[in-house]
Amino acid sequence: MTNHECTCGENPLVPQICNVIKITDETPDTKTFRVQTLDGKKPFDPMPGQLGMFSLIGVGEGMFSVTAKGEDYLDFAIKRCGMLTDALHEMSVGQQVGVRGAYGNTFPVEACKGKDMLFIGGGIGLAPVRSFIRYAFENREDYGKIDILYGARSAKDLVFKEDLYTNWPAMKDTKVHITVDCDDEELACHVGFVPAYLEELAFKPDNRMVVLCGPPIMIKFCLDSLTKMGFSNDQVITTLEMRMKCGIGKCGRCNIGSKYICLDGPVFTMAELEGLPQEF
Amino acid sequence: MKLAKNKLQQAFDLMAKEANLLVPMKIEGVTKFAPWGAEGELAMDAVNTLLPPKDALFPQTEKMYKYKTRLTQVESLEEIKETDKQIIFGIRSCDMHSIDCMDEVFLTRGYVDSFYSRKKENLTTVAIGCTKVLPTCFCDSMGLNPVAAPTADVQLNDLGDYYAVKAQTEKGEALVNLLKPLLEEGDGEAAALECTLKVNMDGVQKKLMNVKMFESDIWQETAQKCIGCGTCTYVCPTCYCFDIEGKECGNEGYKFRCWDSCMFSEYTRMAGGHNPRPSKKERVRNRFLHKLAYFEDRYGKGSLCVGCGRCVADCPVDLDITMFIDKVGALKEAGSND
Repeated sequence: MTNHECTCGENPLVPQICNVIKITDETPDTKTFRVQTLDGKKPFDPMPGQLGMFSLIGVGEGMFSVTAKGEDYLDFAIKRCGMLTDALHEMSVGQQVGVRGAYGNTFPVEACKGKDMLFIGGGIGLAPVRSFIRYAFENREDYGKIDILYGARSAKDLVFKEDLYTNWPAMKDTKVHITVDCDDEELACHVGFVPAYLEELAFKPDNRMVVLCGPPIMIKFCLDSLTKMGFSNDQVITTLEMRMKCGIGKCGRCNIGSKYICLDGPVFTMAELEGLPQEF
Repeated sequence: MKLAKNKLQQAFDLMAKEANLLVPMKIEGVTKFAPWGAEGELAMDAVNTLLPPKDALFPQTEKMYKYKTRLTQVESLEEIKETDKQIIFGIRSCDMHSIDCMDEVFLTRGYVDSFYSRKKENLTTVAIGCTKVLPTCFCDSMGLNPVAAPTADVQLNDLGDYYAVKAQTEKGEALVNLLKPLLEEGDGEAAALECTLKVNMDGVQKKLMNVKMFESDIWQETAQKCIGCGTCTYVCPTCYCFDIEGKECGNEGYKFRCWDSCMFSEYTRMAGGHNPRPSKKERVRNRFLHKLAYFEDRYGKGSLCVGCGRCVADCPVDLDITMFIDKVGALKEAGSND
């Protein structure tokens, strides 16, 4: 690779070229892509919850949450569900891709300091939550007890297995609760839907913040459960998804009311969402 | 200063030497802003051209960057920068204000859109006051004045055989200076002009921002006859939504952006199939709320409808935004159905 002339930095709509340096198979339909700039740096420095526009030059561009950042790389966990993601899943290490960001707001990592944390993820919804979980572990003293509740359709659909089974349970004052919808591989974990398991675990709402990401139907029933358990809407944080093209609040399509999800989101408290038109 | 109308073509020739000069023309039956010298007839009295001049700043299709690939590698990627000087001559108050609105979108709120800002820096606008109104004009109801466009670089007003010429900015002074050999001393006041179509926006924005309004029956009723053709967004001077797509041939290609329309279902349809605005009810609702409520809420610069009346005149099923405004104005309270 020689002669590359990247104009990124001056124009937020022009991507910088990055190398895919590692690909991890998470589940049959989800892979994590580790990317690095051509001079060996991380493409940008996102805060937990922020987004990046990821493109396969010549195919297309899509907005994804950054699931983790390292010293010199970013990780994007991407589920295969359309034309672009199909093509991304065909990539091998050494492929070059376009990356631009960081976009959007961040999880309220400051406002959550001193609180117990309950992270709830469903399916690929753990990808955005993971950025906050990792941040909390990197700043472990700033947060109280940490509970991670994660559910997937089946054992083979669990993402980030090494984190779930090895890394996270080993952290101080941390519990990981895993559940699958149906018990097809006799894995040693709870079987049942996330909302039911949530009620069973009976978390207390005192001094606790909840980060909740997953499919809309799971969010809906988890909210009902959390309300029943005494959580108020300003204790629950989630992220929204909309179709995006520009990522910088210009192209128009990702609005909910007068908010643009790419700029004012993707992170909202449930209390904030109540003040917006229900159109997502 | 003033410019005799019989010197207009000389003035055009002078300006066209300095920049790409866009003037109102009628070309194959369509009135629009086209380069001076294009085949067609000058249409200074068109009031509103069928197509607005927004494409001078926000082209219908605009290349963003080009690239070359080799197998899995990207050999080069280069931004495309257009820096040609442009002059829009004869822009009306409504269309001039639409540029103010697009400035808010493309130049503020955290990110500057370089493609737009480069064009804006190189653009000089010459507004012309209206001397007649179309049956669909309602810019004065939206807070504008048909004979004065305060943000234009130069304001012209028709005084019969002359145009009064007034520079309003530094760029405007430079342009007036260029035209000096053709100008004469003197000026005159434009006669005030009133639009025939009237709407009352009082309280409408506030009512529409009320979440209760979002679930009102008014949307289904209003959207019923919409056929989703997108004409309203195409002819609207303030519709700025765009799509980003690419074109590739062999090992090279380019990425471009092009006008998009919120009236099309694909606009919001996500990979996987979910669409938060699945039917024309949601799409018409979003368009009208964007024009009449959301823009003001986000940017604080008034409505995103400038009252040019193009969508009123050109909608094939007469879905009329002014009738909608009246309907909302007449509601006893937000969200009520009478």
